Amino acid sequence: MARVQRYPDGSRVPPWDRAVDLNKEPAPVPEPAVTPVPEDLRRTIEAYMSKYPDRRSAVIPSIAAAQRHYGWCSPEALDQVAAVMRLTPAYVESIATFYDMFETEPKPAHDVYVCTNISCSLLGADELFEHFIETLGDEGDFNIRAFECMGACDIGPMASVDGVYVGPLELDDVAAIANDVRDGRPVLSRKQLAHRAAADPGAAVPVPDPDTMAAGPPMPPERGRGEATSPEDEP
Amino acid sequence: MPRPEPKEITFTIDGLEVKATEGEMLVDAAKHGDVEIPIFCYEPKLGQPVGACRMCLVEVEGIPKLQTGCSTPVKDGMVVHTQTERVHDAQKAVVEFLLVNHPLDCPVCDKGGECPLQDITFGWGAGTSRFIEPKRHFRKPLEISPLIAIDRERCILCYRCVRYSQEIAEDYQLVLHDRGAHSFVGTFDGHPYVAPFSGNIIELCPVGALTSTAYRFRARPWDVETAGSVCTLCAAQCNVSLTVRDDKVSRVMVRDHPEVDDGWLCDKGRFAYQAFHVDERITEPLVREGDELRPASWDRAIATAAAGLARAGRHTAALVGGQATNEDGFLLQRFLREGLEAHDLDSRLGAQLPVELHRALAAPALQASVPDLEFAHAVLVLETELMDDAAILDLRIRKGIRRHNLKLAVASSRPSALDPAAEQVERFAPGGVGRFLYELASGDHALSDWLRDAGQDVVIVWGERMGGAPGGANALRALLNVAGNLNLGEHEGAGLLAIPAVTNGRGLREAGVLPNAGPGLKAPVADGRGAPEIAAALADGDLRALYLLGADPLVSYPGRGAWAKALDRATTVVAHAGVLTQGIREHADVVFPSEVYAEKNGTVVHPDGRVQRVRQAIAHVGNVRPEWQVIADVARAAGFDLGVLTSAMATKQLFAAVPFYAGLTAEGLAGHGVRWPAGDGAAKAPEGDLGPFTLEAPAPEPAPTHGQLRLGSWRSLWAAPEVRISPSLQFLHPGSSVELAPDDARRLGIEDGVPVEVAQNGTSLRGRATLRSAVPAGSVFVSDETAILTGALVEVRRA
Amino acid sequence: MTKLLFANIDEPDLNTIDVYRRHGGYEALPKALKMSRDEVQAQLESSELRGRGGAGFSMGKKVSFLPHGAMDKYLVCNADESEPGAFKDRELIQKNPHQLIEGLIIGAYAADVNRSFIYIRGEYQYQADILDAAVKQAEAAGYLGERILGSDHTLSLVVHRGAGAYICGEETALLDSLEGKRGNPRLKPPFPANQGLYQGPTLVNNVETLSNVPHIIRMGAKAWAEHGVQNSTGTKVVSVSGCVRNPGNFEIELGIPTRDLIMGLAGGPREGCTIKFFFPGGSSSPVLTAEEGLDIPYDFDSMAKAGSMLGSGSIIVVDDTVPVVEVAKKVAKFYAHESCGKCSPCREGTNWTVKMLERVDTGEATPMDLDIIASVQDQIIGHCLCVLGDSMAMPIGSLVRKFRAEFEEHIERAREARGMGVTVPEPEPVGIAGADPDVGPY
Ligand SMILES: Cc1cc2nc3c(=O)[nH]c(=O)nc-3n(C[C@H](O)[C@H](O)[C@H](O)COP(=O)(O)O)c2cc1C
Ligand code: SF4
Ligand code: FES
Repeated sequence: MARVQRYPDGSRVPPWDRAVDLNKEPAPVPEPAVTPVPEDLRRTIEAYMSKYPDRRSAVIPSIAAAQRHYGWCSPEALDQVAAVMRLTPAYVESIATFYDMFETEPKPAHDVYVCTNISCSLLGADELFEHFIETLGDEGDFNIRAFECMGACDIGPMASVDGVYVGPLELDDVAAIANDVRDGRPVLSRKQLAHRAAADPGAAVPVPDPDTMAAGPPMPPERGRGEATSPEDEP
Repeated sequence: MPRPEPKEITFTIDGLEVKATEGEMLVDAAKHGDVEIPIFCYEPKLGQPVGACRMCLVEVEGIPKLQTGCSTPVKDGMVVHTQTERVHDAQKAVVEFLLVNHPLDCPVCDKGGECPLQDITFGWGAGTSRFIEPKRHFRKPLEISPLIAIDRERCILCYRCVRYSQEIAEDYQLVLHDRGAHSFVGTFDGHPYVAPFSGNIIELCPVGALTSTAYRFRARPWDVETAGSVCTLCAAQCNVSLTVRDDKVSRVMVRDHPEVDDGWLCDKGRFAYQAFHVDERITEPLVREGDELRPASWDRAIATAAAGLARAGRHTAALVGGQATNEDGFLLQRFLREGLEAHDLDSRLGAQLPVELHRALAAPALQASVPDLEFAHAVLVLETELMDDAAILDLRIRKGIRRHNLKLAVASSRPSALDPAAEQVERFAPGGVGRFLYELASGDHALSDWLRDAGQDVVIVWGERMGGAPGGANALRALLNVAGNLNLGEHEGAGLLAIPAVTNGRGLREAGVLPNAGPGLKAPVADGRGAPEIAAALADGDLRALYLLGADPLVSYPGRGAWAKALDRATTVVAHAGVLTQGIREHADVVFPSEVYAEKNGTVVHPDGRVQRVRQAIAHVGNVRPEWQVIADVARAAGFDLGVLTSAMATKQLFAAVPFYAGLTAEGLAGHGVRWPAGDGAAKAPEGDLGPFTLEAPAPEPAPTHGQLRLGSWRSLWAAPEVRISPSLQFLHPGSSVELAPDDARRLGIEDGVPVEVAQNGTSLRGRATLRSAVPAGSVFVSDETAILTGALVEVRRA
Repeated sequence: MTKLLFANIDEPDLNTIDVYRRHGGYEALPKALKMSRDEVQAQLESSELRGRGGAGFSMGKKVSFLPHGAMDKYLVCNADESEPGAFKDRELIQKNPHQLIEGLIIGAYAADVNRSFIYIRGEYQYQADILDAAVKQAEAAGYLGERILGSDHTLSLVVHRGAGAYICGEETALLDSLEGKRGNPRLKPPFPANQGLYQGPTLVNNVETLSNVPHIIRMGAKAWAEHGVQNSTGTKVVSVSGCVRNPGNFEIELGIPTRDLIMGLAGGPREGCTIKFFFPGGSSSPVLTAEEGLDIPYDFDSMAKAGSMLGSGSIIVVDDTVPVVEVAKKVAKFYAHESCGKCSPCREGTNWTVKMLERVDTGEATPMDLDIIASVQDQIIGHCLCVLGDSMAMPIGSLVRKFRAEFEEHIERAREARGMGVTVPEPEPVGIAGADPDVGPY
């Protein structure tokens, strides 16, 4: 049997073995007087809080805002969310660690979530993921993660590149994606889900050529003159 | 607020017809039929059931799926089965799942022998294991705080501890991280879980995942005995169960009393037992020889003390500390008043109050009970920080808010831990409580309307310290007017709850340790001096001897300077002390070793009037003798026979002397005590004038001149000798902390954490600055264990 | 075939309010507001519209369960769509958000609700942006806000984005997550209709369910219910994916033969392959082999009778080139990863199953382990707090039952390939393994 991979302290799961540091102070709700928060982040969080009957509902959007601001959910970021929301940082961290899209370790700037769930893997998603890792894994720019089904099995195998869904992907697309991201172009515009027509033959009407369109998402997608897209779409 | 009326119903469990209360959960109802349904996550003290562990699955006729007994309320006519094959299979399945990743380390696990997982596996498990995959392994144990170790391998993720932190203590410091099988109990970014009530999670954990670092590996359940008593370390007087091994207390656990502590303890109560068995404790009599206190025989110590006191005669005064029992205080006041014809004695720290006020405030109709805090429509917490003064009541109020829609208002000078939970927060300047009450009583305050509209059951929890401050009597008259305006005396669930500055403040008053009242708040033979006047009289030479029963005026009394002079002049100082504090070390002529509560027999009175029994759990350490006996021996040596030979005789004398304790017996107090204001005693309570009083407008508070701040002080829960000498609690003993408003701090050039000096007329105190946005600008608060500063205004600067 | 939800779906700019209105959008709303709340509710009930989120509960009934009277009540649209194989809500939101919003406003009117939320999974960033814009347009047009179109109906709508957790699709976990907690399911009862969001009565409905509402009001319940079959009225958007030539969403009338969907609309298996089995209602439904499943009508009751379920209406087709063990492992790993960890059978059972399937895959198992796998699934089913555990146990149970021979063969082959006999995993020294040498094992 293969040897179990272990972390330096002898365990196999990293976070479990995190001991507390008895020299640290306990961490109650942060004292605003000694917890500076960047003004734009504070305003964003306060705006979220005002949308809900209970301010606590804003915790997910607020962590997301902090993650955008700092690049990851650093202890500092979580502490600041806690300070503005008047929660304990432990509470905020327990939320941050529950959800897949929050990352409590430093990560590269660009998120590439590759679906490796059933439908996509039936169409080669595992190879695709391997290829992503091999090609871009050591780059430092790409946070490549195997993700569960992202609700786009119709374009499997697919990936979400900084939130933009693209597929069906072939191995060659990996390099193109990297280039698009680096050059700040819309990612793989011909394969973006946003421009795809419905598969249902009774409903489909022609969809415009993506190249004539604005830079893709966000919305609303502008549509101009029509022309059918890729052949898979044709019933 | 109306409390739920129990309604009896009948249901069938395993073919047996059983009576139960409607709405009880099946697991509880089953017990009436002697049926046990196994549970892990269910703990009614934690609030609504969560149904997480799935251990309690049972079959309910008419419902196709198995139901969790912990969350299914019993209904009339319900038919429940716990012994069918389906149920057995489900139980075996759940045990098997729980053991999938649970290590088989019972032989070295601290929980062994008192472990629900062990018991339930034995009772309901399959007895075999089919799991052959590698288990999760983790480093173990890890400290999660200096007091608690966590072994994550053993955790079965029952959620109890994190629910506790979030829903009971509401400190939200202990949480679950990650999800699924990776979930683990932890804190934020490696910060320790340090919170006033953290230790309760040890008792809640149904496996050996959370253990007390102080108790780990000290004993097995079959090595120990348990003894019930009452913790006398603060006014909350929680009921405790002491784990005793080899005549040493090795652990303190709750002795669930729903009307006192609701089954929780603070960490001081839970861990300060270590102070019973440390070298710092005085365990034999000491007599002064020159500059030094030297060990002496009991005979010599008693003779020396008696001689000194007899010489001073009626020029003797006594101060009684808060941990003394009613009996101790009662016997000492008899000795002074009857034996020495001395009348100067006090159990309060501040200025004297007219005896009518004591009587009025003790009027049975006005007394709120602890459960009233939970079920009232509204509670006003007035100039007391419950977290420091009677910690467990803080949890009770939070429970009321969470479960019974209690509305809370906090009116205090210093920001309170309860502020975030309060609907109304009124902040006045330190010393401004008199003005606040004056306005509240005259109806000129926004809170007057709020209280009037809150509902009929209003409870005002007030800190007794305010009665000892300048203008205290007026403030209390205003308080009585407020109570009158709200008709608090007329509603069952409404009233006042006074939080004394010391543990047994109420009991000592009732036992007659007041300068102007004897036992039962009756008029004494002659009025005497209160604490501040005793200091003055000693300094003047009007008084010559001082008897200190568990009190050190240099440590906890206001007016340290005056007391230093008083002690210098006193010719005889006799003290009972547990540790050598400054006043004792420097001034006592005879020191008798004090008992700790685990060695004591006697009674104390809870702030809500419940007379509770303190019972001896361990033999006296070293050469310690019971306090009542020492007092009696000294009195006898001084020529006065108190007529007590046992602690029971002392209790009997006390109960006979206090009219409203009529009918109480030590046995009758049993495990739960008796609230005299709700019993036969109520009719025998002394009548007091309940007002309404014509109020004088309070004197204006001194205005700060340029740069000065108004001084407020507080005494932390942790500022206690027991904490300082308990090895694992030491880290909580506070340094001097100076709380400033951020704006003031900026103006004064003070940053968070820097050393500062707080000065006033040449005296000064040093501490570390703590910036708190909740502190109103213009005020400064110092944690005050020594009470050096007495004036209202101070200057604060960087040290 | 009739298109209701998908009518004009690819019309350019249908996601804008103008184009939506040009196609008859927001006409059902004033019609509904002229009716009494009870009448609207009666329409919903008599349409027999069943929830499209998985459980298939009558929407009209659910509305009627909400208590009457003045109190804070909520409507939450479940747009968490995270079940493998499901992607219908995505297309409905992206291309026709106003259809959903209109349905939601009418639903809120029927339930007498003044505050509503759409909980959309965090990965659907593009779709959430579209929804945000659509909500702004609807607010500007007076369809949301105070006294909508001069009626007494007031409604606010907030689009709330999740952050990646399948379990937040379960309605009570969704509510906890929306309250800012970890997405753990709650005990039921109390059901959301009595005590949901912020303890208030709450109506939770799926995107597609609500998208149907304008059509029911527009056409009248009776006409609408003529589509579909008894007990499965209306049309359904079905997601078909996996080993088919034309994967995608198809709007069908409930009750058509499954064959027409898979072989017809979705184009059938790829060149030279045959269908081995398929998941008829997402990855949590027990699988049906081609022989069992292709010829039964695609509707709620028929699928249940065949021992599976319609669920959210997502078909995953697996062809004969794919080893069944691979599929089983994917399914089990997904649920193990997504288990919230609150209840023990699900938390431990899913993980145990993954570990056993991994041993099956590497040939380190025996046929007896297949019995244990099957028995562990039985131990999960019906014992969990929510149905996520069952959602793994049912398909895995069905796979092991229906393809036992292949599992056994797989073990055999894998073992031979490794040139090894059966091994039990190397025992790990308990406790001591991870011990800190300075502290000692305990
Ligand atoms: C594990 C789990 C995941 C679920 N995920 C979703 C989902 O993503 N979307 C959804 O609409 N319903 C989902 N459901 C079903 C919901 O609990 C709920 O039944 C549904 O939202 C009700 O809406 P409906 O009546 O309109 O179908 C899920 C249920 C479970 C148990
Ligand atoms: S540590 Fe104990 S109390 Fe906490 S979740 Fe684990 S088993 Fe439960
Ligand atoms: S005791 Fe009922 S589920 Fe845990």
